Amino acid sequence: MKLAGRMILDKTFTTLTALSVLLLSVILLVVLGPMIYRGSGAVIFRGTVEFRKMQMGLFERGDAEALDAEIAQAQEVRDAVYRQIDEFRQGIDTEELNEKARKIHREFGGELRSNGITGDEYSELRSLTKDIRDKLEEASESQDKALIRRNIEDVLEHQDDDRLKGTLAAGFFPLAANFSKAVENADLAKLSQYTEAIEQVEDILRQLFGPKPGEPTPALARMRYGATRCDQAQILLGKLLWIEKWVQTEPGKPLEKIKTPRSEQFAGTPLESLPGFVEKNLAKMLRPRLTFYWQYFIDDSYNSHYFGGVGPEILGTLLITVLGMLFAIPLGLVSAAYLVECASDNLAVKIIRMCINSLAGVPSIVFGLFGLAFFVLYLLPTFGLPSQGCILAASLTLAILTLPVMIRASEEAIRSVPQTYKEASLALGASRFRTFVTVTLPAALPGILTGIILSLSRIAGETAPILFTGAVALGPVPKSVFQPTRTLSYGSYDMAVGDRVAMMVPHNQYGMVVTLVVLILLLNGMAIMLRGRVFKKLQGR
Amino acid sequence: MDKGNSTLTLKRTAGTFRPLALTPSEDLKGYILAHLGRAVLFLIACTSVIAIFLIFLFVIRESVGFLQTESLWGYLSKTGWYPQAEPAKFGSVAIIAGSLYVTAASLAFAVPIGILAAAFLSDIVSFRIRAVVKPVIELLAAIPSVAYGFFAVLILAPFLQKKFGFPTGTNALNASIILAVMALPTIISVAEDSISALGRELREASYSLGATRMETMFKVVIPAAHSGIIAAVVLGMMRAIGETMVVWMASGNAAQIPHPWWDISQSVRTMTATIAGEMGETPKDTSHYYALFMMGVLLLVLTFSLNIVSEYFLSRAKKATGRA
Repeated sequence: MKLAGRMILDKTFTTLTALSVLLLSVILLVVLGPMIYRGSGAVIFRGTVEFRKMQMGLFERGDAEALDAEIAQAQEVRDAVYRQIDEFRQGIDTEELNEKARKIHREFGGELRSNGITGDEYSELRSLTKDIRDKLEEASESQDKALIRRNIEDVLEHQDDDRLKGTLAAGFFPLAANFSKAVENADLAKLSQYTEAIEQVEDILRQLFGPKPGEPTPALARMRYGATRCDQAQILLGKLLWIEKWVQTEPGKPLEKIKTPRSEQFAGTPLESLPGFVEKNLAKMLRPRLTFYWQYFIDDSYNSHYFGGVGPEILGTLLITVLGMLFAIPLGLVSAAYLVECASDNLAVKIIRMCINSLAGVPSIVFGLFGLAFFVLYLLPTFGLPSQGCILAASLTLAILTLPVMIRASEEAIRSVPQTYKEASLALGASRFRTFVTVTLPAALPGILTGIILSLSRIAGETAPILFTGAVALGPVPKSVFQPTRTLSYGSYDMAVGDRVAMMVPHNQYGMVVTLVVLILLLNGMAIMLRGRVFKKLQGR
Repeated sequence: MDKGNSTLTLKRTAGTFRPLALTPSEDLKGYILAHLGRAVLFLIACTSVIAIFLIFLFVIRESVGFLQTESLWGYLSKTGWYPQAEPAKFGSVAIIAGSLYVTAASLAFAVPIGILAAAFLSDIVSFRIRAVVKPVIELLAAIPSVAYGFFAVLILAPFLQKKFGFPTGTNALNASIILAVMALPTIISVAEDSISALGRELREASYSLGATRMETMFKVVIPAAHSGIIAAVVLGMMRAIGETMVVWMASGNAAQIPHPWWDISQSVRTMTATIAGEMGETPKDTSHYYALFMMGVLLLVLTFSLNIVSEYFLSRAKKATGRA
């Protein structure tokens, strides 16, 4: 009995330990999986004609003639949508209608006079157009459908009047026709609501297709183009098809999202079919195509990363990392060599070791404070340089931060070189220095390389130390090491929390962080593989 | 042919005949060079010492100004942190409490999982599976903190909010979970080292007495390796306390002590996040600036003493396994 209990406990324990390790793998997958999946959308996606337009406009990339042809084809279908809206708007805009009717009547008089028509005929025609104008006005201000129909019919009766043909007065008839078409089945009480609804629709269309042809080009690059990606277009289409409202269904409960079809808003009008038409013809209007946007990694960005890529960020990260390693590698290597080859176990070495361990434990934000206080506020002004965060200060700060990693890895690598190598070299009469440079160092090189790669990845990913010493969220590409730069790490932070525009382009948000993560994982994978080979070599010995 | 060449040959022949004999000047030169070289190497090796010294010097130097206008006791004993108010208030209790709160919560997640995983890696699993699991842990450690923060804000926070109905997804729980994930690799690798360093004798003695694997683990191995495990926990704690980006992005940044204290779904603010969030907009030589550097000093002292504690336990662990 008791034994059985103990065995069950033992099995439970074993399962628990296995589960804990499984949990780690699951965490790794959960953290990386969605990020990489969504981040890859920044590079591989279904790009629309707007994307190609943007590429041409901002980066001068692509085939201009083919693009123009494509735009023309898409524009043909889009024009149908715009035309429908314009006609409807003219129909329901009673003020504009009255205005136009009055204008036609007024100018018609002038036209008659200039045509030399006077006397009875003149006054007859004038009273006729006045009559038409009044009828239109009456109809447009009325809520009574029967009256409207009668008046419109009366007006349209004169359509075949030869005296009006070819004159300004002929302009009355399209007005009347548009109006009658618009209000035929519409709910007249809702006329004013239509205007608002049309504005919403036009706003969505502008986001989908960019500004209408003929409209002035907006100053902001991100307003100049429509939906550049298929996923974006689908979201906008959803907004076009459905109206979202947050409604409180029961008191005390959180608001609930309720969707109603937009076509209901236009029930009975010619626009009722518009959302459906856009949905059906979206592909013709946007012409999506699978796009591999590798230039994401070299392009500059526009409007807080709304368009473009992460080129300057990658450049900044590389600059800071390489410069930092230029300081960290010699210092770390020499320190490690001293600790292994020269040092006995005296007090000085104990202090050095303690300091290395303490350095490894200093919080990264304190490195940032130190970099600010020492490099930016003290050292740079001492050398007569502007006291601002810059690449040099950031990389020096990071070099100190990574020094312990570098020292420990190199120390281990140097220590693992078999004593017999060194002894053989010394026995041949080589000095200790020579032995170290020509025998120990080459043998330890793979291990040291692993350490270097690990330090690299540490530096590239750190954010807190460079917050005040050289990273900016937006800014020009640096021209010297005395200027601040954008980096992938700080950019990822900024896009995750600081940036409103970034929220509209999740693919770019994820793209930035995934670029960083993939860069670092590649470096680490390299280090792991390199170490595996060293390990095998040592085992084979 | 010419004179220089012939002297060289002469020297070389002399060298082959008397390989070990050096003239006094050569001897002296070699002695001086060797010692000079050593001195230079020593100086370079001291970079870390100098760096630590400079870090303390400059962070403390910038914080001293705070003591001229405010009292250190008030800083450490009051709760209100209103640097923009008139007069400004710098009471850091809530912020220090936030740091400790998040750290403790993350350790509560990380320590049990970490020790179980360490036991799994050292005592249970075959070498081949170990070779697969180790890189997983290393990759977890390699993911940059800002990427974890990104995950916390954009993926975990909405999930927590939806799933548990918290008023906000960026809260102490979110930060603790991510910090636990970040502390796990440290805890696992140090604990595993110390557990597997114990050797077979202890375990075999325990098994031969009829103990199951679990009993061996909990009654023999872990008590014997307790120094190393404590060191692992302390190192994980250092990682959690010093972490900046994750807590800045995920903890909600409200300078308050959770009330009631066990309500982990409230927002807190930590020392690191306070520095990171406020230093950017703070002009130099204001009391706010000094106060932030004072917080840096606190952090530095805290991690430095934790480091000494961990070193103490690590050396004890080393001694213990040396004896066994």
